[in-house]
Amino acid sequence: MLELQNISIGLRNRVLITSCSFTVAAGEVVTVMGESGSGKSSLLSYVGGDLGVAFAATGDVRLDGQSVLRQAPEQRGIARLFQDDLLFPHMTVGENLLFAVPKLPRGERLEMVRTALQRAELDGYEDRAPHTLSGGQRQRVSLMRALLAKPKAILLDEPFSKLDKTLRQNIRDHVFGHIAARGIPGILVTHDREDAPQGGRVLKIFSTAEVRDV
Amino acid sequence: MRGLKSTTGAALLVLLFILPLMLSLMLLAPGLVDFDNFQALLAHPQFWGALRLSFFTGITSTVLALLLAIVVIMNATPKLLSRSSSFLALPHLALALGLGLILAPTGLFARIFVGGASPPDWQLVQDPNGFGLMAALVLKETPFFVWTMAMVLQGDDLRMAFQQQTLAARSMGHGPRSSFLKIILPQILARTTWPIIAVFSYGMTVVDMALVIGPTQPPTLAQLLWTDLNDGEVASNARGAAGTLLLSGSIVVIPLSVWLVLKVMPPLLRPLLTQPAKPERNLLFISRAIWQVLVLIYMIVVFVLVLQSITMLSPYPALIAEHYSLQSWESVFHNPAPLIVSLFMGLATSLVAVIAVVSWFETQEPRRDNIALAASLIMLCFPALLVALGQYRLLLQLGLTGTGVGLFFAHLMPVTAYVFIMLQGPYRNYDVRWHSVAHGLAVTRLKFLTHVKWPMLKASLLSAAAVGFAVSVAQFLPAQLAAAGRFSTLPMEAVTLSSGGNRALISTYGLLLMLLPLMGFSLSSWLSRSRWHSA
Repeated sequence: MLELQNISIGLRNRVLITSCSFTVAAGEVVTVMGESGSGKSSLLSYVGGDLGVAFAATGDVRLDGQSVLRQAPEQRGIARLFQDDLLFPHMTVGENLLFAVPKLPRGERLEMVRTALQRAELDGYEDRAPHTLSGGQRQRVSLMRALLAKPKAILLDEPFSKLDKTLRQNIRDHVFGHIAARGIPGILVTHDREDAPQGGRVLKIFSTAEVRDV
Repeated sequence: MRGLKSTTGAALLVLLFILPLMLSLMLLAPGLVDFDNFQALLAHPQFWGALRLSFFTGITSTVLALLLAIVVIMNATPKLLSRSSSFLALPHLALALGLGLILAPTGLFARIFVGGASPPDWQLVQDPNGFGLMAALVLKETPFFVWTMAMVLQGDDLRMAFQQQTLAARSMGHGPRSSFLKIILPQILARTTWPIIAVFSYGMTVVDMALVIGPTQPPTLAQLLWTDLNDGEVASNARGAAGTLLLSGSIVVIPLSVWLVLKVMPPLLRPLLTQPAKPERNLLFISRAIWQVLVLIYMIVVFVLVLQSITMLSPYPALIAEHYSLQSWESVFHNPAPLIVSLFMGLATSLVAVIAVVSWFETQEPRRDNIALAASLIMLCFPALLVALGQYRLLLQLGLTGTGVGLFFAHLMPVTAYVFIMLQGPYRNYDVRWHSVAHGLAVTRLKFLTHVKWPMLKASLLSAAAVGFAVSVAQFLPAQLAAAGRFSTLPMEAVTLSSGGNRALISTYGLLLMLLPLMGFSLSSWLSRSRWHSA
């Protein structure tokens, strides 16, 4: 369970978000909508632990009952997906996945990579360079990579916005399906209502910096 | 401009740079099969010692500088990265002169830390193991590597991608150090191969720095060859030429074998990239310390050069001189030839190089750039000694050795190489839509260039010219070889003085070597300031 408690974020003299609180249950994806510059990505950065020093932010983030605020991004166990797939260009698809797998005997790590590729319907793509894959394939690898790190929560920063319409539905189902199967809480930020999972909770950042259900 | 045919546009760069470079190198080729000279070289009593010293100073200094730069970059703030260029203002030779003065038995270091009635009996510079030369090279190349890597890190095309990739890596549990070493560093190194090779080549073959601060008995191979090449004996000259070819061969062979090892090693090296995340200690303290020590040493070197240049009499171990005067600065103006020659060569070559490079870009298809780029990389990565020797042979054929024209050509080649590399990015990335806009306004090509394009590229053009000027001023070899010693330049004068005891004059020339390029850079940045900024 991921709890955001009374979070406010400001940049210089501007208040972006004021006292935002909500809870995401395991397996649920809550959508936060907002215009560009509304502070929705900053909200994710605060949760993920990489908000720039120029921002002033208060409020607590609790993951499974523990506050994560004092932890570095790599200690939080919170995965991220971005607009860009961010596959590391100097590594093969297999190496990209292996990079995320935590410390285990090498054979087990490789096995996890193979299973992940099967789940992404990308059997045999291990040794391919990322740039030889299509946009949809890359985003699927990116999701698998994020999940291989065994995260306790996942943050989705408009991960569908660069995909074309026909692909979008497919990848959306893929992402939400895997998150539900993992049973981890997720937050999606987007400016497009259609990105939100069916029947999921949707919040909006208003120009008054309030965050309310819509 | 419109009538300017493609061939005419290319002519300048081809005739002044590409062709002379190729001819220079070709004229050296026959020496490759002249085995007697190689035998004479191997029989030289100091050959093996000199070769060992060259390998030691060249390889260790490059590796050390690269490692230090990586540790610095790992925790570098954007501010540090943007300031790294200021280290480039102190030329190699000036640093060597300054270090030589500080570490000499009667230098500041001994006066502060040793004292006593007589100077210590040590040899910290010109030491037989080449540590002094190696230290000077590491001090000079570490900030250079930081700067080249900063250019990649902060480039518009990659900055955002690197930040996000780091973020992604950290969200998978990898700490900042692991993220940098496995994700960012391999991508930076792939883009800085040429500067690394150029630094290695420089370290293995540098003459001027080695003459000031390098070992003497035996010297490095480059110094040994330099003596041979300047000898009156034809046989010595031939032996020096054979050695230059041999040394150049090792410059090709060593990076090539490193590359081969890296190609063959992936089964061994690549698994390092995908090691699982583990808790790590940040090396922030070490990164900062390395950088601060560098800053401190540079400041001390400049301070000592300034102080020594006005110190007239200062018997050991006094820290304060008995007498200060501007006498050595005055003497520069009583014997102004080196200053004037360096200044004139710098101005003339940077101007001609910018004109030649711009007319190339304006008239040639981008795909042809590879020819000029290859020539530039050859110029920068081949040992300067080899190119200088080739230039000398070419000028000999043309009957131009010992002339000002010959010296000008010899200086122009490296300057053009730098100017080309500096301008290729800005020129080829220039948005062609501006051209379309101008077309729509019925502006002539010439007016478009003088009123739109060149003003927009002003900053790049000026900084390329300033770099070219600095490169010209730093040239040591051509004055001796191409100009047969008939023209004295600042580096030549400084090296000659360094073997004498006039510390004030040595410092003055060291400072002049720094001040000239510094004035060029300041002028270029003052001229290229934005007109909207001053308001």
